[in-house]
Amino acid sequence: MADLEESDYSGSESEEEEESSSEEEHERPLKEPRKDAVYDTNGMHEKLEDIGWPDDLDWIQTCVITSPKSENQVDVNDDLVREMAFYTQALEGAKEAYLKLQELGIPFLRPSDYYAEMIKTDSHMLKIKDKLLHEKSKLEETDERRKAREAKKYSKEVQAEKLKERAKRKKQDIESVKKWRKVRQKSGHEGDDVAPPIDFEDRSGKSNGARRGRGGHGRGDRPSMNRESRDAKYGNGGRKHGSKRNDANSSADDSSFRGKGRGRGRGGGRGRGKRPRMRRM
Amino acid sequence: MHRRSKGWCTSSKHSETSCGSCEFPISSGAFTVSPRRVECYLWRGREVDAMGQKRKPVAAESSVLPVEPARKRSLLRRLDSGNEAENGAEKSPRWRNKEKVLILCSRRITFRFRHLMMDMTGLLPHSKRDVKVQCKDNKAATLNELVDLKGCTSCLLFECRKKKDLYMWLSKGPAGPSAKFLVSGVHTMAELKLTGNHLKGSRPILTFSSDFDDAPHLQILKELLIQVYTTPKDHRKSKPFFDHVLAFSVVDNHIWFRNYQISAAKPGTEKLDKIDKAHLENMTLIEVGPRFCLNPIKIFGGSFGGQTLYENPFYVSPNITRSLEKKKKTSKYVKKIKAKQRRKTHVGANQVEPDELAHVFDEDGE
Repeated sequence: MADLEESDYSGSESEEEEESSSEEEHERPLKEPRKDAVYDTNGMHEKLEDIGWPDDLDWIQTCVITSPKSENQVDVNDDLVREMAFYTQALEGAKEAYLKLQELGIPFLRPSDYYAEMIKTDSHMLKIKDKLLHEKSKLEETDERRKAREAKKYSKEVQAEKLKERAKRKKQDIESVKKWRKVRQKSGHEGDDVAPPIDFEDRSGKSNGARRGRGGHGRGDRPSMNRESRDAKYGNGGRKHGSKRNDANSSADDSSFRGKGRGRGRGGGRGRGKRPRMRRM
Repeated sequence: MHRRSKGWCTSSKHSETSCGSCEFPISSGAFTVSPRRVECYLWRGREVDAMGQKRKPVAAESSVLPVEPARKRSLLRRLDSGNEAENGAEKSPRWRNKEKVLILCSRRITFRFRHLMMDMTGLLPHSKRDVKVQCKDNKAATLNELVDLKGCTSCLLFECRKKKDLYMWLSKGPAGPSAKFLVSGVHTMAELKLTGNHLKGSRPILTFSSDFDDAPHLQILKELLIQVYTTPKDHRKSKPFFDHVLAFSVVDNHIWFRNYQISAAKPGTEKLDKIDKAHLENMTLIEVGPRFCLNPIKIFGGSFGGQTLYENPFYVSPNITRSLEKKKKTSKYVKKIKAKQRRKTHVGANQVEPDELAHVFDEDGE
């Protein structure tokens, strides 16, 4: 019992705290050390002597490395710091052990052609590898997606710039034509054979492209995606019997279902306005 | 006097060969002590060096300590001082580690804990497995017999209760001490996050944090862990290389276990017993698993029972924590009900007097 009184765990401060209120004691029993805990120092030392291995053992028998005392206290709840402490302890220990082994002249590195049973099976290691690869590809994918998003944002700006440029050019062209006309009128319709200063050839291609762009679908002369999907759904040619019925495959197929957020950007408000008209046709 | 002082005497008081204040020799004639080991502690009357392996008892109870050569131990018993001379010459040349660990678990163990046990079996080539045991009552008798039957010297028992809590018993031989832990934070080798791998049966390097030498109960736990987790040298199932390291450290009165693979040299280097400095510096560790955290509950004098040597004063059974948690939830409802009643009685006790001026305007209107 004398040991018990001496032990660090049964401080006198804790006794007073515990007596203060019974409710508080219930709330935090985890922090309070028990007062009546057994601490038999002599008994433990005796047992230690009984089971202890001889003192003069070679180090190689046990391969035990005790890390030197470190000053900084490790916070248990900080996972990263804690794991880092374990890691450094193991790393320092391993380094020290390797140096010792080197001194002793005992082979400790595994030769490259030494194949033996490992603690984890090959199939398990394959799984680990797959997982790592999968994680890597996932990371890359998200990276790509992010890049595309940024590019889209950028391309919008570019498009706006382009439109501005085009308007400016048009204005310039008109201006120049007017100027040319004025000059011609002044000179009394001289030099009719001289071409106006605008290169129509150059513009024709561009205007064509612009017209196509204004068509809205951006897919040339092909029918719209809506039309296509509607044709596929309601039929445009071919046998129709039974094709509109649901079956196991169709009910399992959710490709026609669009998420709420996704569809808006693509279809635009215009699509909705168009839909009833097309149905009537 | 000195030995009654609390804690250990600081190493500054010790000279190279003896403790100045207590006149106690650190090295006797039988073996020499390297300077590194001189750092010696006196913990409640016993000398313990930094490695935690050299323990020399203080002989007499008298206040003036006699200068007495340290007693030597063989594996089985302490040798008499008369025989010391001849035994000192031998220096236990043919000592062999004949540790064998019996690993088994209780019935109704869950898969996760079973996997942890299987990982342990993989880590310890000097272990033997046995079937699940029903060990609710007379655990000591059953298990000691089993250990004896299997010819083992120590036992690692994984005991699962309520399909939730895992207790680990670490027990030595028929007479030795045993320790009971609550295991938490279990991660098995099967988890894909732990990416390392190492040879099955290669001898581990054990690393212990210095906290293990701070208190007697940690010393005894360290000794137990060393004896169980070191693979005996030249064990027939062990492999001759060192490619993993076990880390035991004490944080927050818990013992944390980690197992790392050592990846140091490039494959293809031909020399197996040499490592250049660059490679040593670039050495990295990859965790192999399993990992778990041991909360020591008790240390017993005997195997699976006997006199209690240590009790963790901070230990709270998981049953209690769970019940407290439940109580907390119920107390919320009880509090609400109580508050309602209190309000009712309060309102009943303090009736509002009828206001004289309440109908002043009504009368005016009429």
